[in-house]
Amino acid sequence: MADFDQNDDSVVVVIGSGAGGGTVTNELTQAGVNVVLLEAGGYITNEDYVNNEWAAFNQMAWLDPRTTTGSWRIARDFPNLPAWIVKAVGGTTTHWSGATPRFNPHEFKTRRHYGRIEGANLIDWPITLDDLAPYYPQAENNIGSTHRGGRKALPANNNYKVLANGAERIGYHFYATGPYGTNAEPYDGRPASIQDGFNFQGDKQKSKWSTLVREIPRALATGNLDLRPNSHAVQITHDARGRADAVLYLDADGNLQRQRARVVCVAGNAIETPRLLLLSASAMFPDGLANSSGQVGRNYMRHTTGSAYAQFDKPVNMHRGETMAGLIADESRHDPARGFAGGYYLETLSLGVPFLAAFADPGAWGPGFTSILDGYANTAGLWIVGEDMPQETNRVTLNASVTDKHGLPVPNVHFDDHPNDVAMRDHGYKQAELLYEAVGATSVQRTPPYPSTHNLGTARMSAHPEDGVVDEFGRAHDVPNLFVSDGSVFTTGAAANPTLTIVALALRQAEHIVDSLKKQEL
Amino acid sequence: MTFPAKYPQLNDTQLTERARTVLIRVVRVAFPHSRLPDGPYERTADIILKEAEASNWFRVALTQGLGSLDALAAGDFCSLDDDKAYKVLKRIEGTDFFGFIRRTTVLNLYDDPVVWEALGYEGPSFDKGGYINRGFDDLDWLPEPRIEEYDGSVQFEPIWEGPGSAATSGTGGAGTPTAAGDQVRDNLKATLSTQQDPREGAPADKNSRKAGV
Repeated sequence: MADFDQNDDSVVVVIGSGAGGGTVTNELTQAGVNVVLLEAGGYITNEDYVNNEWAAFNQMAWLDPRTTTGSWRIARDFPNLPAWIVKAVGGTTTHWSGATPRFNPHEFKTRRHYGRIEGANLIDWPITLDDLAPYYPQAENNIGSTHRGGRKALPANNNYKVLANGAERIGYHFYATGPYGTNAEPYDGRPASIQDGFNFQGDKQKSKWSTLVREIPRALATGNLDLRPNSHAVQITHDARGRADAVLYLDADGNLQRQRARVVCVAGNAIETPRLLLLSASAMFPDGLANSSGQVGRNYMRHTTGSAYAQFDKPVNMHRGETMAGLIADESRHDPARGFAGGYYLETLSLGVPFLAAFADPGAWGPGFTSILDGYANTAGLWIVGEDMPQETNRVTLNASVTDKHGLPVPNVHFDDHPNDVAMRDHGYKQAELLYEAVGATSVQRTPPYPSTHNLGTARMSAHPEDGVVDEFGRAHDVPNLFVSDGSVFTTGAAANPTLTIVALALRQAEHIVDSLKKQEL
Repeated sequence: MTFPAKYPQLNDTQLTERARTVLIRVVRVAFPHSRLPDGPYERTADIILKEAEASNWFRVALTQGLGSLDALAAGDFCSLDDDKAYKVLKRIEGTDFFGFIRRTTVLNLYDDPVVWEALGYEGPSFDKGGYINRGFDDLDWLPEPRIEEYDGSVQFEPIWEGPGSAATSGTGGAGTPTAAGDQVRDNLKATLSTQQDPREGAPADKNSRKAGV
């Protein structure tokens, strides 16, 4: 591993090692660019993971304090856990489920296609699907998505058998066991899935893609990467010209360090990224770095989600096998006749007994609650995941009255469902009930959204600087050598699970950075 | 929530063996599983008692709460049948005392391998080679489904904006998006004000509507 001097101002500093940051880091180092990668979490390896939901949660989750406001149910049930993401090398790719659908073309142009929707802050992306055309296959090849690039499909597990049969019976066509980012057969130096059923707890088998198993080791092998785990960025500083010049971070001992930089890429996920930009306010940038638009932290999206857990009079054993290797795309279309704009996917999902108890109906108790768990072995589950409306008031801000152990203001996440979100979720629940009843369900539990796993939109891309934070390459409109490399750049959320698109955008961004460095434009 | 005690000996509140017995009964009535033995309920009660030791407020609330259950039960809470005991707990479900018991139970009762086994959850699997040879696909009461993506005659239509829309006509007319937006708004209103037919939006529906376009 490289060991760059803290005063070396020729390095690119990447903050965050997940889907976006890990990908940018690998691409830059492969091209010969020196990178310092700051990761707030520790270096947890696949061997360290534990097959236990609570123990793994405690080991991997981002548990630094956060606060919540708004009418979303999370603010009541999990007031200090707005998001369920990972704090470790590899970021949230170490616990993602693995579904990798692409965006539909119109999902880059929602303002044009959905029209003006009251309360929604819709704008079109500054790019189209064509702009991502070369990068989607590359991202799929990196991830090893099944059903793509000639890769084999995963076999049908029990939970998928229920989902697929139900789908067929209510007239859906577009279902399959993928595309899914876990090997059905050995690929890219990693083995095939053993269907152990643990995804959110990290994959000990390494058959699931993460930047921990692919991008980080490859970047380290170039000799161009200085990886610094347990390094929590607290501020990006700038010079008199308004260009980013260094990153201040807390090391493992809580001591403040300063790494100088030629370019800074922020990829802290859509809560920490705006928090860092807001913490970087200065006399020149009084509202936060790169925030002349006022859009930093705004338009926070989390996908419209919900789950359905159906009981049958025969065994399912949904916990056996790949958690999300089952997708239905029929409802991912935009069809306003359903009563809402945008679309959603239905995807298999299973929780173990510990998490089903915690999340099935938070706050519930008594015989109605315990019947959900008594039927565990005979239960099938699915997740509704669809596009939610960006709203200016759904917002990450700095909490003026609560600080973390370092004395830094914690992020507050404010969220209210848009009526469009509510209508979509309700439609999803009804379709899930129809689907499961078509294959004999005796009951279906509507489970509310979990703490957010898809966090998007808080530093969005826009064609015009007044509408958003970054340009089509994720470069800050206000700060020419500052990039945002994670899902914060999503202009709108689309229905698809975001990881594939985050990787595709990061590949495109890295190419742009390398090109700009070569031309001495950075 | 935690108020300082004027006299520190107030913090010496002790939970008696009787309190433990009542607590075990409370946990079982609140989270009834006929297949569960006593062990998990006793372990959960002991975790609750241990956590209460760490918080003056919860210890005081728990002591007072458990002590007063007999009064609510007009006698001995532990001698009430499940139904009557449940009704007593229903009356106090909004209290911090009960909330503390509920939350601590949800987080711990179901993190117990004895409970997993009783409910049919198999726990850690990696060390056993996963389920690749242990039943990940043993469901046999439904037909084997297709695992590949659909390749039949129906085309996936990602967008439907109504007659004459940009997507349908292939031209990006300036006035069209507004019309689509109007339709979204109108349908949103309809959704919010009336019960929607859950079958609306299924592909068969969409196709029949498209056929009429």
